[in-house]
Formats: sequence, C-alpha cells, structure tokens
Amino acid sequence: MTKLLQWLLTLALLGATWATLTLNLLGLSPLPPAWYQVLWPLPTYLLVTFGCYSLGVVGYRLASFNDCEEAARELQAQIREARDDLARRGMKF
Amino acid sequence: MATATDQLVGYGLVGFSLVLFAYYTIWIIILPFIESDHVIHKYFLPREYSVIIPVVAGLLLLLFVGAFIAIVAWKNRKPTKKSA
Repeated sequence: MTKLLQWLLTLALLGATWATLTLNLLGLSPLPPAWYQVLWPLPTYLLVTFGCYSLGVVGYRLASFNDCEEAARELQAQIREARDDLARRGMKF
Repeated sequence: MATATDQLVGYGLVGFSLVLFAYYTIWIIILPFIESDHVIHKYFLPREYSVIIPVVAGLLLLLFVGAFIAIVAWKNRKPTKKSA
C-alpha cells in the first residue's frame, strides 16, 4: 500500500465518521447540542490547526536559521584535498 | 546567521500562529460548553463565521497563488519555435 493510498484511506474513514455523526445517518439518538456544536466545524478546525502548525514551523526555522561553519570548513578541506590529488595526477587548474 | 529582521519576522510568525490557534480553539472547542449569556461570547463572532472566514481566506490564498504562478509563467514564456 502506497503512502498516498494510506492517507486517502485514513481521510476517507475520518470523513465518513464525521459525516455519519454530523448528518446522523445511522438515526441514533442525537448528540447533546454542545457536542454537535463542536462536531460540525471540526474539519475546518483541523485544517486551521494544521495551517497554524505549518506557519509556526516556518517562522521558527526562519528565526533559528544557522550558519554551518563546521561543515563549511570540512567541505573546504575536502575541496583542497581533491585539488591536490588531481594536481598530483597532472591536471591543471 | 539569521539577522535581527529574520528573527523578528520568524518569532512574529510563531507568535501569530500561537495566538490564532489559541483563539480558534477557544472559539470552536470551548465556547459551546459555556452558557450562552456569559460575557465571553461578546468577543467572538457568530458560530457560522468560524467556517466561512477560513474557507474564504483559503480560497483567496489559492487565488493569489494561482495568479502569481500564472503571471510568473506568462512572463517567463519562451517564444515558441515552429517545429519542422
């Protein structure tokens, strides 16, 4: 099962549960009004929550963006090493 | 390194998202369990707006993203060559 199918299946299950409860398709005794008031905007609420989380992650990563000086030194050392090696084998830069 | 402006904007975004999440959670999850004559209800719009506003905002966002992509693609179009 691919990831896409997993996500689609999960979303379909959740959506079916939500629709069943909201539209009372099973004809059960209706939910208490307060719970019904929570239930019907729930998909929008989850969407807004996901949006807030995404915005927060983008903001946090922007604020804590960092220079990788260690990695830069390592990479420059490797470049020097490769140049020396190639120069020994007769390559001209 | 992230400059001071980057940090300001970044933590601003974090704060904005936290405030939005808290306000929306109170509006959607907590408010139905508080009696309808409580003063807190003065600070929130009627309930149907809790869905209308995000949907309209999302549609506007999609519209702007689509318009942006269309404009960029249109500006970068290459003169079409006639294939022999």
